[in-house]
Amino acid sequence: MDFLFQQLINALMTSAIYALTASGFSLYFGVLKVLNIAHGDTCTIGIFIAMTLNSLALFSGIYQILSPGLTILLILVISVALTGFAGVLTQISCIKPLRDAPTLVVLLVTVGLAIGIPEGIRLIYPQGSNPHTFPTILSTNGVHWAGVPIRYDNLLIILTGIFLFILLHLFLTKTRVGMQIRAMAQDREAALMMGVNLNLLYSFTFFLGAVLGAISGITYGIYYTIVRFDIGFMNGLKGFSASIVGGLGNIYGAVLGGLIFGFAETFAVALIPHGSAFKDVISFLVIVIFLVFRPTGILGHRIYERV
Amino acid sequence: MRRMKAFVFTSVLLALSILTGTATAQKVVKIAFLGPLTGSVANFGIGARNSFDLAIREANKSGQLKFKLEGVALDDEANPATGVAAATKVVSDSDIVAAVGHFNSPVALATIHVFHRAGVPIVLWGTTDPSITKKYNYPEVTRVLPTMDVQSLVASEFAFNKGYKVWAIIHDSSDYGKKAKEDFSTAIEALGAKVISIDSVQPGEKDFMPILTKIKQLQPQAIFAGVVIPDGALIRLQMKKLGMENVFYIGPSGITDVKFNEIAGDAAEGTVSIHPGVFLEKIPKGRKFLESYKEAGYKEPVSAAGDVAYDSANIVIEALKKVGPNKKELAKAIRNISYDGVRGMISFDEFGQTKLRAVTVMVSQSGKWIPWEDSDYAKGLKKLPGQR
Repeated sequence: MDFLFQQLINALMTSAIYALTASGFSLYFGVLKVLNIAHGDTCTIGIFIAMTLNSLALFSGIYQILSPGLTILLILVISVALTGFAGVLTQISCIKPLRDAPTLVVLLVTVGLAIGIPEGIRLIYPQGSNPHTFPTILSTNGVHWAGVPIRYDNLLIILTGIFLFILLHLFLTKTRVGMQIRAMAQDREAALMMGVNLNLLYSFTFFLGAVLGAISGITYGIYYTIVRFDIGFMNGLKGFSASIVGGLGNIYGAVLGGLIFGFAETFAVALIPHGSAFKDVISFLVIVIFLVFRPTGILGHRIYERV
Repeated sequence: MRRMKAFVFTSVLLALSILTGTATAQKVVKIAFLGPLTGSVANFGIGARNSFDLAIREANKSGQLKFKLEGVALDDEANPATGVAAATKVVSDSDIVAAVGHFNSPVALATIHVFHRAGVPIVLWGTTDPSITKKYNYPEVTRVLPTMDVQSLVASEFAFNKGYKVWAIIHDSSDYGKKAKEDFSTAIEALGAKVISIDSVQPGEKDFMPILTKIKQLQPQAIFAGVVIPDGALIRLQMKKLGMENVFYIGPSGITDVKFNEIAGDAAEGTVSIHPGVFLEKIPKGRKFLESYKEAGYKEPVSAAGDVAYDSANIVIEALKKVGPNKKELAKAIRNISYDGVRGMISFDEFGQTKLRAVTVMVSQSGKWIPWEDSDYAKGLKKLPGQR
């Protein structure tokens, strides 16, 4: 029984990471009708900024001046914020000028970014091509519950995920900008007619998306320890598939999609003999089957285009 | 008149260039190095490249060569496609007369055909898949490293004698991992042990938690990991996270590197691996090599592959001294050579495989790989995980 529980926790971990990436994709598409292929790389940016700040902190001895806990918190907050600003920068330079261009052009631009950003990190970061060890923030200790060890990093990831989604939900429903985001996702033209501030919305959506990506990346780094400049690709692909399953454009659907993906992966390995060799095949197969029966995704809705 | 001037001018220029051409310094002969200089196993590739460079520098300094030796290093990224591109580049350069290469078996399995077709000899300082020499038996290909089957035999005998009889195997899906799994499972089952689970992963996999949770349920006494670092280190780390520290952990040469201890940290304690060769600190030539490496001032550690690459380069150099820069003669000379290297007297069998099959059992103690017989474990001061 406790093995099932352990696998449950394993599945939740991977689901959390995918869900965070997936919600970014849904955000971009739902609000701005932009399919941002480069979203997976915001995870990588977040990770590498965090590692750089950590090295700086170690080098300058800040860990001695402030307490380790505070320094780590600062590093995390700063890297997430910086990644958010990087997202805004991308938006201003690459997406905004193409606001009225066909969606295919914007897609191509994001593909270009998806190639350029990891290669850029590889060139700039010392020994960029090699895998790096993400600094261990938490000890490997934990608590016991129902006979199963739950480690502190598991707890942190689960709690962060829940906390973030509650925050996101509150933001979307209770704030003015959140309302504008929901309005744009619901009916773009009506929202524009109602006076939604498109400039602000573009920048804010990209900021939020990049922040979600950065948190997803840092979670990845904490959980898996080894990071490389190109993890954004697979992470992004899986997050993208998860957001499609959940319904592209719907953030709650993204969470659902992330859960489905994470569980499919984990239980494919756990239950199917030699499943680990086909882990990716099985999880993507699940996605395909899902889409055959429900192409709009679980919580998605049909998009009608007026001709 | 103008035409006359032009004629005189160009002929003087031509004469001058011909004269300066013949007046240039001595002939330059190049040897190529191929290996993973970037990527997950870059530490092996870079250590090997530096050692290769050391051998060339020493050869040039010795003054025993009639020409100047130059090393050309190419990155195969541990990827067969990149390896083939690098090999093609090597064989297209007529100045390059020989190559030493490759850490990864899948890469070598792709490139040896390129070298064979071009007749360029290559001495392999890495790779453990026996079929590279046994199956193809190309006259241009020789290997200075003992193969996987030797490692698996030693590993299985060692572990079985320590009392580990119920095994789970995790291996990666590359040719290296598959061969490791085949050889080890055959060897350990022949001794009478039971293999209760075999799982394959993609090289570069990071999440072993579902597999390990599944294996933990089956209660193995030991796990054999046919992977390279960092995967090998991550498996051990995640074993600890799941509370499986009492399960014995052993792997072949792919994990015998400082990076394993770096990444796995405390979890590395008591892990056993097989080093394809003799432990350098124990032999005088080994110590001398390590000193020369240090004096030369390379930033990166020598890695487990350094001495092999050093010997491989020197084998090419010795052959060059005997027959000169003729590719065909070189291939023959290398095959027939008897070279007294760091690892001992190296000569090749009819398949081009080194006759030196010594491997060393290593154990990770206090964050370092040390030979088994020197460890506290061998002396009985410490117990291996789950040792009966």
